[in-house]
Amino acid sequence: MKWIKRYGPYLVLYGVAFLWIIPILWMADTAFKPTRDIFSIPPKWIPSHFTTEHVERLFAEWPFARWLLNSLIVASFVTLGSLVVSVPAAFSFSRLHWKGRDAVFMFLLVFMLLPWQVNIIPLFFMMTKFKFLNTYQGVALPMIAMPIGVFLLRQFFINIPRDLEDAARIDGCSSLGVLLRVILPLSKPVLAAFSVYIFNYAWNEFFWSMICLRKPQMVTLPVGLKILQGAFEIDYGLILAGAFMASLPSLMVFLLLRRQIIRGFTLAGSGVKG
Amino acid sequence: MGLKGRGTIPAPFSKMRNRIGRFFYRHPGVEGFLFALPYMALWAVFLAWPVVYGIYISLFDWDPLRGSKFVGLANYLELFREPRFWNAVVNTFKFAGMTIPLILGLGFVFALMVWGWGRKRRGIVVVQASLFFPYLLNVSIVAIVWKWLLERDVGLFQHYLNSIFPSAPVFLTEPAWALPAIAVATAWWLAGYRMLVFQAGLEEIPVELFESAEIDGARPYHKLVHLILPLIKPSLLFALVLTTISAFRTFGQVLIMTEGGPGWASEVLALYLYRVGFDYFDIGKAAASGVVLLFLILVITLLGVRILGLKSELQ
Amino acid sequence: MRKSFLWALVIGLILGVWATAEPIKLTFNTLFHEADAKAMEKIIEMFNEEYKGKIEVELIQGRWAQYYAELRLSVLAGTPPQIGICHTNKLVEMADYLTPLNASPVGDLIEMAGIDPAKYVDAAWAAGEIEGRHYLIPLDTHGWGLWYNKDIFAEVGLDPKKPPRTLAEFIDACERIKAAGYYAFHPAEDALPRKLRRAWYVFFWQMGGQLFDEDYIHATFNNPKGLLALQFLVDIFNDFGWNEPGSNGYNQFAAGKLGMLVAGNWFYGTAAKSGVNWGYAPMPNFFGTPYTWGNSHQLVIPLQPKGTPREVYLAAMEVIKFISEHSYIWTMYGGHITAYKPAAENTELLASEYWIRSGKWLNEMAQKGLVHYPINHPKGSELEHAIQAQIELAVNGVISPQEALAKAEEECNKILQGG
Repeated sequence: MKWIKRYGPYLVLYGVAFLWIIPILWMADTAFKPTRDIFSIPPKWIPSHFTTEHVERLFAEWPFARWLLNSLIVASFVTLGSLVVSVPAAFSFSRLHWKGRDAVFMFLLVFMLLPWQVNIIPLFFMMTKFKFLNTYQGVALPMIAMPIGVFLLRQFFINIPRDLEDAARIDGCSSLGVLLRVILPLSKPVLAAFSVYIFNYAWNEFFWSMICLRKPQMVTLPVGLKILQGAFEIDYGLILAGAFMASLPSLMVFLLLRRQIIRGFTLAGSGVKG
Repeated sequence: MGLKGRGTIPAPFSKMRNRIGRFFYRHPGVEGFLFALPYMALWAVFLAWPVVYGIYISLFDWDPLRGSKFVGLANYLELFREPRFWNAVVNTFKFAGMTIPLILGLGFVFALMVWGWGRKRRGIVVVQASLFFPYLLNVSIVAIVWKWLLERDVGLFQHYLNSIFPSAPVFLTEPAWALPAIAVATAWWLAGYRMLVFQAGLEEIPVELFESAEIDGARPYHKLVHLILPLIKPSLLFALVLTTISAFRTFGQVLIMTEGGPGWASEVLALYLYRVGFDYFDIGKAAASGVVLLFLILVITLLGVRILGLKSELQ
Repeated sequence: MRKSFLWALVIGLILGVWATAEPIKLTFNTLFHEADAKAMEKIIEMFNEEYKGKIEVELIQGRWAQYYAELRLSVLAGTPPQIGICHTNKLVEMADYLTPLNASPVGDLIEMAGIDPAKYVDAAWAAGEIEGRHYLIPLDTHGWGLWYNKDIFAEVGLDPKKPPRTLAEFIDACERIKAAGYYAFHPAEDALPRKLRRAWYVFFWQMGGQLFDEDYIHATFNNPKGLLALQFLVDIFNDFGWNEPGSNGYNQFAAGKLGMLVAGNWFYGTAAKSGVNWGYAPMPNFFGTPYTWGNSHQLVIPLQPKGTPREVYLAAMEVIKFISEHSYIWTMYGGHITAYKPAAENTELLASEYWIRSGKWLNEMAQKGLVHYPINHPKGSELEHAIQAQIELAVNGVISPQEALAKAEEECNKILQGG
């Protein structure tokens, strides 16, 4: 009985985690086994031999390193850009008062659920006019314009106690001062959480990137992975090797920043009144 | 943390700032608007304008090479007459109805597990990372992996399932099972992030509350319903918003796993829109269905605000 | 007088050199990926090497999924590539977005570039014309053939050197393979909806069926022939027990569990790597004429913005001609059968393993005119989606073949007559 109480939870936790990750294990397994084992019936877990053939092909036959770099640049650009424009906007929507503010905010919310397919063709023509196709800014700007950051940050800002702001105002702080000296220092965790969300979003964004980026040297990872996936059949070894390699950087970032991320959510969550 | 790092401002600047400050003090609305301006400008150019232009296009038989014709609401009428369009609307709601509870439910259970049992247990980070990892994958990878898991012969899941239950359905080939299978794959992909959101909410609950509940002899069920759920409502709301967004935008999973099939059994609105626009190049009609989708989303958002009490918090 | 003439000459020369110093830059968009993309890369590399300083081609590939939509969008946005690819059956849909080569803004490009129609496979060349305007220069024919597992053939007492040709031989082979505990036959690659539709086309075409009337006003497949073809397809996966619905023929074949697979020439790479001892044969004659499903990639100049200089058109034609002349490389590494007759006689190609093991059979089918192109209609994609949705449901046993054809006919007619 005692034994179960002590080790039971472990068993459940690890059991669930293991089940959950089976597809990933299989993906990794497939990335490193020879093609003929991939198509074995019944499925074959242990490869006849270990091979890095797929990973090598990935780097030798495709500009995979360049795709990684592109993704890194685009995702960083989107993350930084979002922070720069969303923070003041969220501040304005939560703590400053102006005519029509809430109506405008409601309007923003609607666009949060909008699928890319609705606006992509006009967007394409616009980007052609701006000569933004095949550029980092072209792919990044529409993502920066997404309302999700304003929504999340506003949820948090709106609940920072009024007293703190009032104290600062009495000290002669302008609104900018309030934002920089009161709000931001309190918001580091929520900014971290939002950054992770938006970075991951940009890292994986596919539909718009596919339309905007055409040159093989400019595409990001998701588009590159799509290029790997043929029209006639799927080279599972190659594409799963690509998927595996593409997810490693994000996993490392997650493991490094895990505490900050969770803390960020904690603070973001507590901000919202019930 | 907080108020430190505030220094005195050099006199000339402070004078100038005072002048600006006074202006803003007299016209508070202007200042608020200025803060929102950079974002609103981007939003207007890259998000709102294309949508407005899309609405404009939806009134045309759009063919720039031969000349577009104004057709009024004809695109809409054509759309409403099309059973395939209504089928896509129904599928979108069906899918949302399946995937939203599934994602939130799994995320919540995982969060409870990790939070309840994970404290003071070593190696919890491994569990957490495992549950979170799928979220890091790109949607096309998730779809390819799951399509493969569910394939009849070499598919791992289907293979083991059929060796236990020989008459089990081949999910992706049965109209009734295709959407649920895609919903499960989507839940696998997205539940991890929701887990983190819920876990954060749980960690906010003061320990004393539990201790007093413990003393009152509350049962686990009561603790859940009367203590935990009300207290993590904010996290729940947050996760609900994110999940609703992804449910209505679902596209890649469906395209890769079933191409909307069998028949039209899993064709959702985003996929229908894509086909009309990008395969049939009927841009006017695609724009019209985009507008209808926009309208549906508007209704849902407003309902959501009403029902979930977001409204009180907008004031 | 003489002096000024000399000066003019010098200035002219300098200007001339200066003008030619900048090579003409062209963009070439394709929908190729993997093996065929690599093959095209090889050809374009050769071109850029040979025309160094004069013409420079930038190749953009790998974007098959929305290639045509992107091509149209780029034409509308005024930034089209100078060279592109078009399937023969997309011509009607795409013609507005392409330059008519024999009636371009700068004249008859086919004549100016010295391209000789007689050197191309007739059917492929003929497919490039609408009402006297010629839009396409053929690159290849690609299509389906029969891949079979020689070891399984030997095991069940079939001659591995004699794949089945007639329906009777074919049924005998299937029954023997089935009895030995293998999947006997898969008619449609990985059984995606569009592949199932193509398999049905093949059976229907072999019976002499036509999908639509000549003016594309009515669907003409809901009849005994169409039904028999669909019944046959459905039975393969159900009553005959030769395979099961929802199974992926590529995987079954590569795993060595499938006796015969109908698949395209693009399966070559996987087959070669799978370790299966395979053979290749033309499509068997099931129902009368041994048609197979296929298509042809053709080279095009998308519609250019007004005022595009003559040199750009000519340079693009130069590239197109060069690709034709070097299309044996296209076949050898890309697997699609060249449509340029002289290239099909290239000794290097004829000695290549690909040609000997499978390419030559596909070439034979193409030469005999047995590669049947898909429907060619402005609403082709919509019609095909409507058809394949019903075919898929029938194969999966959800509805009967009769219901499927009736429903598909109804939807097609609605699309055709709905304006």
